[in-house]
Amino acid sequence: MTAPTLLIRDLRLSFKGYSGLVEVLHGISLHIDKGERVALVGESGSGKSVTARIILGLLQTMRTARISGTVNFEGRDLEAMSRAERHRLRGTKMSMIFQDPTSSLNPVYRISEQFHEVLKRMVPGIGRAEADRKAAAMLADVSITEPERVLASYPFQLSGGMNQRVMIAMALANEPSLLIADEPGTALDVTVQAQTLKLMRELVTRHNTAVLFISHNLGVVREFADRIYVIYKGRIVEHGKATQLFDNPRHPYTRALMNAIPRITGEGIPKIQDNSDEYLAPLVVHEGCGEPGEVA
Amino acid sequence: MLIFAIARVIPGDPARIALGPNATAEQVENLRLRLHLDQPLSVQYGHFIADLAQGDLGVSLYTNRPVTQDIAQFLPATLELIIVAGLMMILIGLPLGVISARYRGSWADSTIRIFTLLGVSAPSFVWAVILMLLFAYFLPLFPIAGRLADSMTVPTVTGFLLIDTLLAGNIKAFGNAAWHLVLPAFALALSGIGQAARLTRSNMVETYDKPYIEMAESYGFPEGRIARRYAFRPSLIPSLTIIGLDFAAMLGNAFLVEAVFAWPGLSRYGVAVILRKDLNAIVGTVLIISALFLIVNIVVDFLIAMINPRIRLSQRAQ
Ligand SMILES: Nc1ncnc2c1ncn2[C@@H]1O[C@H](COP(=O)(O)OP(=O)(O)OP(=O)(O)O)[C@@H](O)[C@H]1O
Ligand SMILES: [Mg+2]
Repeated sequence: MTAPTLLIRDLRLSFKGYSGLVEVLHGISLHIDKGERVALVGESGSGKSVTARIILGLLQTMRTARISGTVNFEGRDLEAMSRAERHRLRGTKMSMIFQDPTSSLNPVYRISEQFHEVLKRMVPGIGRAEADRKAAAMLADVSITEPERVLASYPFQLSGGMNQRVMIAMALANEPSLLIADEPGTALDVTVQAQTLKLMRELVTRHNTAVLFISHNLGVVREFADRIYVIYKGRIVEHGKATQLFDNPRHPYTRALMNAIPRITGEGIPKIQDNSDEYLAPLVVHEGCGEPGEVA
Repeated sequence: MLIFAIARVIPGDPARIALGPNATAEQVENLRLRLHLDQPLSVQYGHFIADLAQGDLGVSLYTNRPVTQDIAQFLPATLELIIVAGLMMILIGLPLGVISARYRGSWADSTIRIFTLLGVSAPSFVWAVILMLLFAYFLPLFPIAGRLADSMTVPTVTGFLLIDTLLAGNIKAFGNAAWHLVLPAFALALSGIGQAARLTRSNMVETYDKPYIEMAESYGFPEGRIARRYAFRPSLIPSLTIIGLDFAAMLGNAFLVEAVFAWPGLSRYGVAVILRKDLNAIVGTVLIISALFLIVNIVVDFLIAMINPRIRLSQRAQ
């Protein structure tokens, strides 16, 4: 059996602030198998983005962050790696897509230059012409009909949906084994978001890329993920296959999230003020979905 | 026109001052006639504009030479000082800001911030006096005044000593001229360095929070490259605006710094002609300074348009 692409075990994170240590992640475990699409769903502030940043090795360099637990990437312990080794994985074996495509691209460089930069991560000596050729092919893959025009443009000259496609093409350009999508396209309008997500799904399936899909919207996740982890206040509260979870949400928080699925706008963070004991009920694991090495 | 008007309302009869107390009433009257000073102001203005259009600024009553010739003699010294100070501002100020922002919160950042705060907190002539006392008087590392050691001479070609000494192939004189430039130029540049560094830092720190920086980090681009291409380049636009303004402000500040370091530049000339109410020379000096001010601003706007694709492209579309 090959090692899962990503295996996180009992991950804890605290930030050192003026008022002492504040724990943000209270022991998270999750895994993603090769080519699997997994969603991490929870409300704002529940700890989704920090998890992503730890996987990329970005929080480890932050002086105020205290991290414990294990993060294995393709069987290798990230903590055991040197800073340079972790750095080498970024942009090559792992890549990331962000919430707002237009502001995630550098405003003062053309798309082709930014693509070149990304491709250089894999092939440091790649020339501009060669990079442009590859980029054009990648852009064609995300259904962009005039790759040359897009490559010669600045991000502000393109629509949000177009930039989102560019981001997807860039993220997959180096054939990473893990793609992290942090609320991709939440800043776009619903139909464009749906289109680009469909496209992304096709591409990751074709390339057999594992995906960690981060969202606060269960409705969006439903279309995309094989498996879902629900995170609430730094704890995983429910975990199961997408079908299981939607057919039979068992944790009170998951049920509240389901009821909050926005029907028309696709926007909106669930309004959950409740802090009762019920929400802090123990982890619910659906049948056949335990963490590797644990009794399910 | 404003310049013209201000020069005319300063009290005192220019012809009288020019000719000195011993001149006869007849001589004074002759000069007044020649300068059209006897005619109404509106007519004087007409003469002035007509001459200006031909590149003629009239004759200085103080040196008795065409004002353009005087300016051509004194301007290069001032320009040399300002250009060197401007280069210092860019070559010291911007890198300090970049280092400060990239290592924000570190001791290097704190040191730079204190240094730059000092720089902006006193006007350049105060720095001129302080630097002169410290590094020319108590610690005689630099010459105390002037542009070149008295023992040296170089033929005047451009008036820029740094260029003329090189043209003459006189490396020793070049070094000497550069050595004379250090203190006055640094005094003149200090507040600009401070402003450029502080502004670059604050813009870059703000830019570091932008999503495209996070994206660059998540792709593992090298840190130095992120600092330069992702944080600095977009922050350069506002910094450049300030540098342009500071550069223009140096034209004025140079007056006092030149006075402190006995720099034989336009300010010396300007002060001398104002005291003598030398109308043509005053107007000429102020005109040249305003023209330089304008040119600097246009160049800066042009540079900004060049590095900001949004402006560049919208102009091309029109
Ligand atoms: N650099 C930091 N220093 C201190 N606290 C932080 C830092 N980054 C994040 N946090 C805290 O960690 C918690 C989780 O943040 P995170 O960004 O992961 O939330 P999220 O689930 O991604 O929410 P959102 O949906 O708003 O993106 C928040 O309470 C946040 O205040
Ligand atoms: Mg987030």
